[in-house]
Amino acid sequence: MASARTDPIPTSQPEPEAARQAGGEQPAIRAAGLAKSYGPTVALAGLDLHVAAGETVALLGPNGAGKTTTIGLLVGLLHPDRGQVRVYGRPPSQAVAGGLVGAMLQDAGLMPGVRVGELLAMVRGLYPRPLPPGELVALADLGPVLGRRADRLSGGQAQRVRFAVAIAGDPRLLLLDEPTAAMDVQARRNFWAQIHRYTARGRTVLFATHYLQEADDAADRVVVIAGGRKVADGTPAAIKARFGDQQVRFTLLQGSPALLAALDGVRAVDRDGPRVTLRSSDTDATVAALVRSGLGWSGLEVGGGDLETSFLRLLAETS
Amino acid sequence: MTGFLALELRRSVRDVRYLVIAVAMPIGLYLLFTGLFGAHGQRALGLPQPVELMVAMIAYGAMWAVFSTTGPRIAHERAIGWTRQLRVTPLRPAAALSGKLLTALAAALPAMALVALTAVLSHHVQLSAGQWLALLAAMWAGVLPLALLGLAIGYLAADDIAFPATMALYFALGALGGLWIPLSVMPPAMQDIGRALPSNSVAELGWRIAGGQASVPRAVLVLTAWLLGSATAALLAYRRRNTRSAH
Repeated sequence: MASARTDPIPTSQPEPEAARQAGGEQPAIRAAGLAKSYGPTVALAGLDLHVAAGETVALLGPNGAGKTTTIGLLVGLLHPDRGQVRVYGRPPSQAVAGGLVGAMLQDAGLMPGVRVGELLAMVRGLYPRPLPPGELVALADLGPVLGRRADRLSGGQAQRVRFAVAIAGDPRLLLLDEPTAAMDVQARRNFWAQIHRYTARGRTVLFATHYLQEADDAADRVVVIAGGRKVADGTPAAIKARFGDQQVRFTLLQGSPALLAALDGVRAVDRDGPRVTLRSSDTDATVAALVRSGLGWSGLEVGGGDLETSFLRLLAETS
Repeated sequence: MTGFLALELRRSVRDVRYLVIAVAMPIGLYLLFTGLFGAHGQRALGLPQPVELMVAMIAYGAMWAVFSTTGPRIAHERAIGWTRQLRVTPLRPAAALSGKLLTALAAALPAMALVALTAVLSHHVQLSAGQWLALLAAMWAGVLPLALLGLAIGYLAADDIAFPATMALYFALGALGGLWIPLSVMPPAMQDIGRALPSNSVAELGWRIAGGQASVPRAVLVLTAWLLGSATAALLAYRRRNTRSAH
């Protein structure tokens, strides 16, 4: 019983300080050929993932792409059917046991019946090198709720406490599974500001999201997965150019439809009778060109590209 | 681990369900029953009424203490995802599991001691120091199978089922186990059932010790069988929830 605390953890104990300093050498995540199925449903079909220490990487994909399964494999809650995953060179469960990993899982909750301050003190006590209490409270902006019961918080407060639980041990790798799913715009902005304060300390972050905008705002690099595979991997700018098509829609009153494809920024033209939908990589330029073109039009709408549509298109292209 | 255990304990003593049902109810029932049946009659095994009922209510309170801190609580933590969150901390699953078990056993102690104290204060129940010690220690060890049963329920039952299921089991074990009315006034078939139950066996340990009889092979045998069964059930239930699945 008491041995749970005093038992040396074989793989983490002999870690010399020098190796910790040189953590940049060791990739935070190295996964190769990860495959996982639930009965007949294939969640991952051979995923390769490499995250260097200190990176902030977005795992972007539509619902059902395999994001949550990937996170589950990275924390050792799931085991791959095939393939291998290492977190700082160790099997995930050992990395978790050694306090190297913190995670905000989807629908993970807080201990009922205790105060926030008590909960955080207990969680800190589980890690070998936790964040100092004051720093933890400041990072997660928790001052006013420390005395509150953890099971009687508002949604936003609970989310901040869950974030605090994830970083209490000062983990080198922080995993976040759709952390802002239930947040409004302001809460989302505050949350990412907290993450930035944390990564500024040289920490590695991998977060799953299905918002392209969020990946663009917060990540150094974006890994796009769909259908259990990696379909793209690059800088946010490159990913946005490939997936972030916006749409310009209007009714064409007069002029030749053949001119439409030549307008600035236009990548594709869809027509449904007189109603035209242009897919554009730069809607400002497209609209400006449309105005100059001399075509007659009405009912102009400019809208966000639908990521699901982009994925479907991409999957259709790659298959 | 010590921090985890300490917080689980602190949480238990604030839990109203535990305080009311495990601590206050056996004391209230003790005072009620000794008032109703008179303090001078004799009940099972020739023990004076206040002693017999004290032992019965110690068993009753201890039983709810270990049930309330395991079954419903674990099922709820699984449902809200606290179990998952804890699994991505360095706390070993085995340590979390044994922490639950220790918390349950620790929660039984105040429930037991306070009934004994009530008996001493209200009816001047007198036992030798050795008897008190043996009685409380034997009965405390005797609730271990019940705590393991609670763990099994916690890992098997859904959140909305766990509390009523535990409650039903608690009443059934109390009534059929002769904690409310002595087995001796029940029909023979019911007596046989009662004697095979862990609730009756825990009380039997206490009654025998209070009556100055050291030898209690039947109760020990019954409890050992329940211990093996409930430990197996708890382990299987735990493994079912914690291997290769996320729940």
